[in-house]
Amino acid sequence: MSIIAQYVMNGAMLGMMYALVAVGFTLFFGVLDVIQFAHGDVLAAGAFAALAVWLGLTRLGVASPALLLALVVVAATVATALLGAAVARFLVLPLKGAPQLNVLLVTLMMGTVLRESIRLFYPGGSQPQLFPALLPTSSVALGEFNLRIDNVILLAAGTVLIAGTSLLVTRTRLGLAIRAVAQDEETARTMGVDFRRIVLLTFALGSALAAFAGVMDGLYYNEIFFGMGLLLGVIGFAAAIIGGLGNLYGAILGGFFFAALQTIGAVALPFASAYKDVFAFGVVIALMALRPKGLIGERTSERV
Amino acid sequence: MSALLQVENLFAAYERADVLEDVSLSVERGSITCLLGSNGSGKTTLIRSILGLTPPRRGRVLFEGADITSWPTHRIVERGISCIPEGRKVFPRLTVLENLRLGAYLERGPEVIAKRLDRVFAVFPQLDDRRAQLAGTMSGGEQAMVSIGRGMMSAAKLLLVDEPSLGLSPLLVKENFAVIRRINEQGTTVFLVEQNVHQTLSIAQRGYVLSKGRVAVQGSAQELLENDRVRQAYFGQGAPR
Repeated sequence: MSIIAQYVMNGAMLGMMYALVAVGFTLFFGVLDVIQFAHGDVLAAGAFAALAVWLGLTRLGVASPALLLALVVVAATVATALLGAAVARFLVLPLKGAPQLNVLLVTLMMGTVLRESIRLFYPGGSQPQLFPALLPTSSVALGEFNLRIDNVILLAAGTVLIAGTSLLVTRTRLGLAIRAVAQDEETARTMGVDFRRIVLLTFALGSALAAFAGVMDGLYYNEIFFGMGLLLGVIGFAAAIIGGLGNLYGAILGGFFFAALQTIGAVALPFASAYKDVFAFGVVIALMALRPKGLIGERTSERV
Repeated sequence: MSALLQVENLFAAYERADVLEDVSLSVERGSITCLLGSNGSGKTTLIRSILGLTPPRRGRVLFEGADITSWPTHRIVERGISCIPEGRKVFPRLTVLENLRLGAYLERGPEVIAKRLDRVFAVFPQLDDRRAQLAGTMSGGEQAMVSIGRGMMSAAKLLLVDEPSLGLSPLLVKENFAVIRRINEQGTTVFLVEQNVHQTLSIAQRGYVLSKGRVAVQGSAQELLENDRVRQAYFGQGAPR
């Protein structure tokens, strides 16, 4: 029983990270119809920015864990928001009107540049880096299962972020503009919507969510490394596709769905848990073949 | 009366077929001015150029005397030009209320927005009952109401209306023209682009006929009605519609 609870908790943590990454992909696709393939590496840059800020603050003598955590999260969020907006401003928007494959290629290359920059320029960046435990490490015993407080906090924070993003998109003036641009850019502009500004804000928002996923990853595994964005990026992209690219709720569901597949692959199947990714991606490939437009088709659902 | 909008020697092209060659015209403050012309005569390109969607190759667009040529679209809209686009262009996966709300995107005061919504619902009571319906699930006539209502939501000084009668039944066309006239009577200058000559000239004070990218005829509505060349220019592409 406690083993199952353990796996469910682990799956929920992974699902939350994937959902946060997938929401970014889906938002970017919504406003510009592009795939931002550097998204995963923006996430890694955010995690390393968080680590660097933590190192700097501890050297300055800041000891309060709560203050450290808050500053680390803010630093990672601001860094990735700026990075994401810069990708939009200097790489994606100038290519507007060019074939979409070009955007894909440029962002793919940008991802490699970011990844290699972390490896080359971050001190010791080619090796995995220890990420500090900034959350309480105590746990609550529920029968035989030990519920870790830090995991609960991360899940709650992730839920708040996703719910906040959803409210922002569906209930605010900015969200209305984002959805209008997603549906018909030109008509949105004739309503007075500043298209470029909305694109930059959307990229900043989506990238900030990825930063949180990066910090979450670091806090959960106590380790980050320069290539961490690669797999998270591919999984987040897969989750967004499963959910019907452009569909906010689909992306969230897709993230948890992929984590569920991995968990099933690790627990319920008669081979080593190292094969969990092979299993999960295999299922996604099969689903793609069966339902080429994603599990939740864009046509029947509300696009961002 | 003074010119609210002036187009001076405009050259522009949109999708090759729709070209403007040296078009000059002006829209007087407070008027309904119309632009007639068949498909491919350059009407769409002219509207797009005024809105900054298709920057002209040469020439100027002046609004209230200020040169707004090739400004970004949202700044032109901020300055006081809004439009009811050709083909209605409602946001299909937004509700009626959200569509209308976007018409007043530049307005931030909730009271002002509520007041303008009331004005739209007074004209189109049908929309009031369907605030929460997705616009894409509505009939063409209903979408036209959303599109016109959305145009009414802005506080624009100049409203560009692009082919409001396209694809609508004669009864709906008549109703929509009455609404456009009402908007004008409430103080908004209207630049009306149409193919429907008689209805249009019955509400407009002045008009221009565009043919093959040039202004073929211009004058008061009365003069245009009586002008032999209007029919000729209007059906210039051959087959009458």
